[in-house]
Amino acid sequence: QDMALANGKEYTIGKISVVGSTNYNEQTVIAFMGIKSGDKLYIPGDKISEIIKKLWDLGLFSDINLYVTNIDNNVADLQLEIKEVPELNEVKISGLDKKKKREEIIKENDLKPGTKVTENLIATTKASIENKYAEDGFLFAKVNIQTRTIKDSLDNDKEKVNLVLRINKGEKVKIKEIEIKGNEIFSDAKIRRQMKTKQKNFLRFWKRSKYIAEEYKESKEKIINKYKSSGFRDARIVNDSLRILNEEEVALTLELEEGNKYYFGEISFLGNSVYTDKQLKAVLGIAKGDVYNGVLLEKKIADKERPDAADLTNLYQNNGYLFARINPVETRVYNDTIDFEIRVMEGKMAYFDEIRVTGNDKTNDHVIYRNIRTRPGQVYSKQDVVRTVRELGATGFFDAEQLSPDFDVNPSDGTVDLNFKVVESGASQIELQGGYGGGGFVGTLGLSFNNFSLKGIFDKDAYKPLPMGDGQTLSLRAQASSFYQTYSLSFSEPWLGGKKPIRLTTSFSHTKQFYRDFFARETDRDRSFLITGGSIGLAKNLKVPDDFFVASVALSFQHYNLQNYNIGLFTFPNGTADNLAITLGLSRDNTHTNPIFPTGGSKFGITAKLTPPYSAWNGTDYANLANDPAYQLPNGQPDVAKIDQEKFRWLEYYKIKFNGDWYNKLIGKLVLRTATEFGFLGAYNNDRGIPPFERFYLGGDGLGGYSLDGRENIALRGYGNQTVVPRDREDGLTREDGATIYNKFSLELRYPITLKPQASIYALTFLEGGSSYDGFKDYNPFQLNRSAGAGIRIFMPAFGLLGIDFGYGFDPIPGTNGAANGWETHFIIGQQF
Amino acid sequence: SEYQKALKSDEVKQKYEVAMQLYEEGLAENKKSKHKKALRLIEQVLPQYRGKPQGEHISFVHANSYYILGAYFDSAYQFERFTKSYPNSQKYEEAFYKSALSYYNESPRYSLDQTETLKAMNKFQEYISKFPDGEHIGDANEKYAALREKLEKKAYEIAKSYHHREDYKAAIEAFDNFIENNPGSKFRDEAYFYKLDAAYILAINSYAQLVEERLIAAQTYYEDYLKYFPQGGYVEQANTIAKEIKERLNNNSENNLG
Repeated sequence: QDMALANGKEYTIGKISVVGSTNYNEQTVIAFMGIKSGDKLYIPGDKISEIIKKLWDLGLFSDINLYVTNIDNNVADLQLEIKEVPELNEVKISGLDKKKKREEIIKENDLKPGTKVTENLIATTKASIENKYAEDGFLFAKVNIQTRTIKDSLDNDKEKVNLVLRINKGEKVKIKEIEIKGNEIFSDAKIRRQMKTKQKNFLRFWKRSKYIAEEYKESKEKIINKYKSSGFRDARIVNDSLRILNEEEVALTLELEEGNKYYFGEISFLGNSVYTDKQLKAVLGIAKGDVYNGVLLEKKIADKERPDAADLTNLYQNNGYLFARINPVETRVYNDTIDFEIRVMEGKMAYFDEIRVTGNDKTNDHVIYRNIRTRPGQVYSKQDVVRTVRELGATGFFDAEQLSPDFDVNPSDGTVDLNFKVVESGASQIELQGGYGGGGFVGTLGLSFNNFSLKGIFDKDAYKPLPMGDGQTLSLRAQASSFYQTYSLSFSEPWLGGKKPIRLTTSFSHTKQFYRDFFARETDRDRSFLITGGSIGLAKNLKVPDDFFVASVALSFQHYNLQNYNIGLFTFPNGTADNLAITLGLSRDNTHTNPIFPTGGSKFGITAKLTPPYSAWNGTDYANLANDPAYQLPNGQPDVAKIDQEKFRWLEYYKIKFNGDWYNKLIGKLVLRTATEFGFLGAYNNDRGIPPFERFYLGGDGLGGYSLDGRENIALRGYGNQTVVPRDREDGLTREDGATIYNKFSLELRYPITLKPQASIYALTFLEGGSSYDGFKDYNPFQLNRSAGAGIRIFMPAFGLLGIDFGYGFDPIPGTNGAANGWETHFIIGQQF
Repeated sequence: SEYQKALKSDEVKQKYEVAMQLYEEGLAENKKSKHKKALRLIEQVLPQYRGKPQGEHISFVHANSYYILGAYFDSAYQFERFTKSYPNSQKYEEAFYKSALSYYNESPRYSLDQTETLKAMNKFQEYISKFPDGEHIGDANEKYAALREKLEKKAYEIAKSYHHREDYKAAIEAFDNFIENNPGSKFRDEAYFYKLDAAYILAINSYAQLVEERLIAAQTYYEDYLKYFPQGGYVEQANTIAKEIKERLNNNSENNLG
């Protein structure tokens, strides 16, 4: 029934009926419509379109029509005609032998039973399969898709469809040859080298010579760019064709027109007021008489591949001129020379206005804002935006891949609003280990929270599941076995007080060890050894002398308590020792740019660890303790245990360490690392002597193992762990209880194999030498234990640094009069040589 | 138990009845465990009842169970769905209000992303304009105001954090934006004062040739503060700064004369 549509009239709805191919209950469909008999309705009216839209949105119907079937006394009967999109029942694939391949196709195209089969689905499936084969070199793959309607096995009224895919992938097409015509300047081979698309060659059997349209297109651009960067401004491909030789082979023909070679003439600037011609020319770096290079010119104006390149556009954009436009115009072409005018429209300065952050559902605003370099009211700088994105990614709190700034540019008042969209990423780690070792079960539980909030620990609402979001780090670790237990806790806050980046670190640890008889496999709990300690430290980036300096100070304390326990370290089985020290450090690190593989810059550090000089005021005459009856055995002999207890009750020493690393790029990617290290442990009071703690042990991989005495393991490849012990200069005797002086020198050549973010790998070869001494009387910096070797390092973010080195020690191990130490293999975990 | 039987049964009707019974008991006894059980059953039978006469009731119960169990993310969505599907329901207003309340409960502390806060504000706003005489109108207005204050606090604290990190230029700009965007906020007193404070500290730490100009700017901020908050909480501190500004300006002009 036709009706005038102009004026809607209100009707009462009478009967509603549903017709068409559907297996839905009539009542269900009517309920979906949201109207019922007796409702008032304008016909026509927007309520009707709303109903139709609602049904469309369900995505279940391919055709929806609403009719008025009868009007009687303002009562209108409605009829809804719908056609349901058929559902997919099953996919049948012919032409592929392997079940796996067939399943792959179903999975990739999402052909699940129940999917609505539309024309669009069929077309996209066909195209996607054909494209996929073409990418693999099956250029002539054909896919034929047919639908077969079947009755649903459960419900006879419901129709479903089967998709029948006939795939004929044909032969793998190789490029037999690439013919190049019209080239005089560059040889065929040189042009082919530019191309990603390769022709068949029996020498290159391991590489593909497939035809992929996308690659071919890229290759053509590359050829033209090659010409353009060598002065041939007019070079172009006049003709290119693909000939099908047979089912497996095609041939490509490229016809080039090289044109003439050009040179840059005068380059002038127009419209620049902020920068002088000279400044702009310096950035441009192109001089009159240079061979014309269109690619370079474009790059120097705006490098599309590198957003942080030193080009003209960035020169303006990093200094507020967001609206700057730069266009090179050829003003004169004469003979082989082209004059350019670079037209600059500087536009007005832009300033950052509102800086927002969204997406942070864990991390508090202040933690993010303190890392943002773009501030309200500051002159626009693209570089600051790029650095902010990089530095926010480096915090580890967010997914670096998904960090993106949204610009809201307001040209009328010259402001830019920025919104940093972040996506939180899990920043916590749990380590849980159990195993048998050292004669019993050893369990380890480690928790590390990298975006912790100390403030939140008393707020029960903050536990989701733990208080997070203040950018602090909290680590807890417990390790226990039948004869020892270790607990440690550390906390750090990178911005103490929130004003400046001052890092606070605190840690606490407690170790208890019982005497274990490994032969009887028994633990004696009456004999124990206990260490309790803690430290607190501050580190601050300095501004003077330059930004690369970091100053630090730390206070540490350890308490040792022995009960009937002889550990060789002390001569007394019962007693205590305390180690209270302050460590002052100053370091400078300007290595760049990849922290895993620095290619330049240097790194220095000097630290001094000092204990209070107790002997200066406690009045004990350490030289004569042996003569004091209080420190003698009943037989008049000195009581060594008692004397040592007195000497080491409070440890007294000072320790100075220095290290320096230089990185230099030699040729290409080859980097030379030169490094030196030096350490010295001394006593304020020679009568009291240097304690058997905090000493240096040279040799091997340098990995810190189980140590009770604060010893420092210093790596020296080519020798076994801790084997390079001090030797007395006069009698040549060696001492096994650690050195008080050491020095070490190394030269290392490094070559990167890959520096991708998911895994960085580099190979290295080294020459190094080091030695340790038991005092300055024995010191001889040239009496080194030398070694050479090679190795490899792999860095993966999930595992840290792993590596293996093979080193040959040229010198004998001190104390042995044998020959060269020979080969040693070192495994490296998480530490850099 | 009856619940276990219903859970394993294939009878849709049995599940429905047990679910409703558990739900009613849960309401009466205020027991979350009953709601949890009811919800499990409802989820099993909900699709079968869509479009049937009981659909309306069960949809509401479904949404409300989430709400009672504190799963506000789900209840917000389900209540919203309910209001779209059953615009003529008797429970329409309640569902509408509860969808707003759900977003309200999802709104996190001010220092995090405020997307949910904005959603809740929109919902309350809609409720207020749809039901000007509604049952919850007072509460809706109150909650709306509380959410707006949260957004104000966020903006204020961000501006304040520039001041705290001693980036005074950014602080002035951010306080300016805050004052412009948040008329009637209770943080305006602080904002005006800290803008003055930032301007003063910036001025006295500037290069000599900039000091005077910036001190004068700070002085106008002082005048602004006094104009808007003659009884403000920071008047004393502001007066002290104003005095110092005056002294420095006098010294400056004397030096220039000399």
